[in-house]
Amino acid sequence: MHILPWDLTVIPSKFFLFAEAAQYTLQITFFGILVGLIIGLAAALGRLSTQQWLSSICRAYIFLIRGTPLLVQLFIVYYGLTSIVTIAPIPSAIIALGFHNGAYIAEIFRGSIQSIDIGQMEAARSLGMPKAKAMQRIILPQAFKRAVPPLGNQLIIALKDSSLASTIAVPELMLKGRQMGSSSFMYMEMFLIVGIWYLIMTSVLSFVMHRIEQRLKVSDRD
Amino acid sequence: MTVIEKAKKSEETILKIEHLVKRFGDLEVLKDINLEVKRGEVVVIIGASGSGKSTLLRCVNFLEKAQKGRIFINGKRVKQGEKQLNKVRQELGMVFQHFNLFPHMTVIQNVMEGMVQVKKIPHQKARLYASDLLDQVGLQEKADVYPAMLSGGQKQRVAIARALAMEPQIMLFDEPTSALDPELVGEVLSVMTDLAKKGMTMLVVTHEMWFAKEVADRVIFMDEGVILEEASPDVMFSSPKEERTMAFLKQVLPQQA
Ligand SMILES: Nc1ncnc2c1ncn2[C@@H]1O[C@H](COP(=O)(O)OP(=O)(O)O)[C@@H](O)[C@H]1O
Ligand SMILES: [Mg+2]
Repeated sequence: MHILPWDLTVIPSKFFLFAEAAQYTLQITFFGILVGLIIGLAAALGRLSTQQWLSSICRAYIFLIRGTPLLVQLFIVYYGLTSIVTIAPIPSAIIALGFHNGAYIAEIFRGSIQSIDIGQMEAARSLGMPKAKAMQRIILPQAFKRAVPPLGNQLIIALKDSSLASTIAVPELMLKGRQMGSSSFMYMEMFLIVGIWYLIMTSVLSFVMHRIEQRLKVSDRD
Repeated sequence: MTVIEKAKKSEETILKIEHLVKRFGDLEVLKDINLEVKRGEVVVIIGASGSGKSTLLRCVNFLEKAQKGRIFINGKRVKQGEKQLNKVRQELGMVFQHFNLFPHMTVIQNVMEGMVQVKKIPHQKARLYASDLLDQVGLQEKADVYPAMLSGGQKQRVAIARALAMEPQIMLFDEPTSALDPELVGEVLSVMTDLAKKGMTMLVVTHEMWFAKEVADRVIFMDEGVILEEASPDVMFSSPKEERTMAFLKQVLPQQA
């Protein structure tokens, strides 16, 4: 029954040929988010610092990243920097994804830190705690909890955004789809497979994040 | 009451505030405040909302930075600077209207936090002392629960224990019972009364006139950023001098009018 112009029956048989590419997708997403978390926390704290120059630098970073496409950032790292240093595709993707997500994660952390009642900082300070210690012991543990839902969201965005790494020859899902499509002329079938892979991964991540949120909810309410 | 009587006789000044001025922008909230508190004294601060009572306490604890004035603790002037202030704050226990317990820590962890993180007291020892303090405020059986599981009165008693854990010389209370349901006010005031009996120096902002009458050595009436009147509770409540004081007391003590 060939009503459709495509042969969808190849989807199951070709599906697992994409497994290795999916691994690359997960890898650059995971490390990209990891770098993003580190940069994001630093930028959030810097942005909230009373040191004007530090706060300005962090604000500028967030402004530049959020105001430009990830693809531009990716190309700047991979092609733009070649006159100084050549970075391989995968590290380039991780760096670009890290800086890109760092800006969004910085805003997530900043929001969650600022959402903690000012009385928490005051109570800590009134015990004689230095500001940095109060941040570390009292504010951040609470802020991290509140950041979990938006961070989960950002993780899913990052996973999908990682498809742009196909443009700099990272052998991830999207590139695999393009290669398989052009060699077989079954573009629809191959990109459907790619879509299904993404859907499975984002669903699993959503589910895991949801479980983590539930667990955090039980441990305290206030 | 005898302990309180004895505390009254102490002549040693523990806290001295001189010419304190605090502004928020153009709004002058404290206008040349002068106040001396003796060791063991319980001073209750009353006054209408917005008169600057909280700001005064917060300036003493340097949560707010005053524009002018000097503060002496044990005769030593408190200098600015992060290190110095962190030291001074350990001498001043602060209890807030909204408790401000750390929600991600259990009750006993709340009480231990300052001891372990600031005073560097070993964990084991801190736990013993914290447990002792919880016993004093009647909450030992709640040691391992999270603040979210407590009533308001219980939360405030934990907050008192947390402040006491630093072994402060002075306790500052900013309307400690104002956020509580009426039936929970008594348990907090009774812990505070015990504390006063033990000779703790206390500066208390409260609307509980009963507490002021029974426990205070001195009552201060604040009005629009100045200390308009101060007197012993007997004098303050029976024959206030200032008209504004009378008007305020008439409002909070309608049955006495
Ligand atoms: N952080 C602040 N910024 C601006 N105004 C403030 C701030 N804190 C207090 N005020 C103002 O200072 C005045 C005194 O406030 P407060 O000390 O809280 O009074 P009280 O505790 O007697 O009710 C009020 O008019 C209040 O609006
Ligand atoms: Mg107040």
